[in-house]
Amino acid sequence: MPASKARPGPTKSTFTCLSNGERLETIVRPQEGLISRRIFADPEIYEMEQDRIFARAWFFLGHESEIPKNGDLVTRSCGRDPIVLVRGDDGIIRAFLNSCRHRGTRLCRTDRDNAHFLRCPYHGWSYRNTGELASAMGESHYGPGELEKDKLGLIAVARLGVYRGLIFGTWDGSAPSLEDWLGESRWYIDIIFGRTGGVEIVGVPQIWDVDCSWKFATDNFTDNYHVFSTHQSLVPLGLLPNDPDFACHGHMVTLGNGHILHFVKGPPGVEEFEAMGVPKTLWPKFADHLSPSQADLFTGHCISVGTLWPNFHWMQLVSAGDMESKPIGFLNLRLEIPLTATRTRMYSWFAIDVSASSEYRTASYEAYVRTFGPAGIYDQDDMQNWEDCTSASIGPAAKRYTMHHKMGLHRQRDPNWPGPGVAYADSYGELTQRAWYGEWLRMMSAPFANGGQSP
Amino acid sequence: MSEPADIMDESSCDPGTRLYGRIAEFLYREADLLDSHRYADWFALFAPDIRYDMPVRINEFRARGDGFRDIAFFDENYASLRTRVKRLETDSAWAESPPSRTRHFVSNILASPGPQAGEFAVQSSFMITRTRSDQGYQLFTGKREDVLRSEGEHFKIARRHILVDQTVITNTNLSILF
Repeated sequence: MPASKARPGPTKSTFTCLSNGERLETIVRPQEGLISRRIFADPEIYEMEQDRIFARAWFFLGHESEIPKNGDLVTRSCGRDPIVLVRGDDGIIRAFLNSCRHRGTRLCRTDRDNAHFLRCPYHGWSYRNTGELASAMGESHYGPGELEKDKLGLIAVARLGVYRGLIFGTWDGSAPSLEDWLGESRWYIDIIFGRTGGVEIVGVPQIWDVDCSWKFATDNFTDNYHVFSTHQSLVPLGLLPNDPDFACHGHMVTLGNGHILHFVKGPPGVEEFEAMGVPKTLWPKFADHLSPSQADLFTGHCISVGTLWPNFHWMQLVSAGDMESKPIGFLNLRLEIPLTATRTRMYSWFAIDVSASSEYRTASYEAYVRTFGPAGIYDQDDMQNWEDCTSASIGPAAKRYTMHHKMGLHRQRDPNWPGPGVAYADSYGELTQRAWYGEWLRMMSAPFANGGQSP
Repeated sequence: MSEPADIMDESSCDPGTRLYGRIAEFLYREADLLDSHRYADWFALFAPDIRYDMPVRINEFRARGDGFRDIAFFDENYASLRTRVKRLETDSAWAESPPSRTRHFVSNILASPGPQAGEFAVQSSFMITRTRSDQGYQLFTGKREDVLRSEGEHFKIARRHILVDQTVITNTNLSILF
């Protein structure tokens, strides 16, 4: 697949000037590991991101298992646009702007429901769960041609795609197909989401707001280097090894279109840390669903954290949830929705193998809920960092300076890595962050060419 | 409304009785331990069979239920609460080092005989203010449904079910205890 076909957004770089005369290309130089602090907490950058990233990138909406039955719906958001994700009476999943075509009222006012019709409380316009306008109140008061119901269906995302149960949408009708956009990352998504035949979301996401730039969270989701220092409190409790290098034994992989990931090994010879904490009873299923090299990679590693550009992450981790339990694997899905330049809405889902035993389900859930999410004994310290990074990047002096993203700048790719993408040995490094900012710069470097099209 | 309480009834835990007063005092003293960052003393109030949970709430129509779901923000047992307390006692639990300043306000206390003899089902409303660093106030509100177990003149918390009012926690994290 030619890479150029799979790249949404601009195909040639154009200069982007900020209101102070600076060019983005000058202040964001991923190849040198220099990223300006200006891009994090600046309202001007935030507004540009809304159009240039969130109005055209593929973005994560949810998982098929969240809306298993016809009529099931959940409300989500993409940037500032509210979305309703619904499985219609025809079984097809669609995503619509959660807004009535008449006055624009937010249509679904709950987080989830099951409904044949979405009825607007304002003037009673009622839509089928497949999107068509079924009826309006007082239709007889409209003259001929005034209420063209066939043209007033809900505003659908330009494209919607499902891969391994993960549902994505984009507002850009010229975007590549989801499969092309995912490209090389599919090989790894197949491992994480397909290892035993499939995973499912359990329950609802935890949702919470943090006073931070969304990009500090995104940056953190491809960062192994922080673990020992940020999560130091867990070392004396025996939940993390007393070794600053413990999370470096792995690879960073950069894929096309800004997708990035890590594979990290656990301590050798400890069964709990093999196969990313999936219990051994499920290992025979790997052969049915993974290629031998995928299965070897999964079995031989402990952690995989990946980002599908820009703001969706999986974290397949192994940890005990407390000082008395054994380590167990869990799969955490994450999404950051920027509310303002300095405030971000976090989503965190728990997922598990469909074929999991009840014991594995319970142990995995307990380990997840105790360690990650807003109350997690790991995660809560990360939020502190994101806020403190943000609050110290707002001032005019701070904005003149860059951050430091140089670790592994001269590292060579590992030719022996069995999977697609460009892999680098040693999972302490900032290669994946640099790749992420490279894609950010590319997407930000041209105005949205085809915005504002009517469906 | 139930019948007016007989405040002299030693077995009643209705408002105005001695037992009610002891239960309310217990909750006030517990709140003071949390606000004073005396985590080990706070942990000593829990029974070894404690289940301490805070389910995630969603926004939905009344006919669909109360919005509480089978995913939680906290889902703790004795070992995991102890782990949280041990963590808070290190100097590197960065979310709480330096610590949040909290004020746990406890009110609307109602008590009734609990599931086992010597236990009381106690519900209360909470309002917690938190200020961190140089920041303004964050607010947490909700209801707690506790089971308090008599141990001599003292109580142990045998169950704590925390029902938050927010569907989206707008307060950075849940690094404080409830």
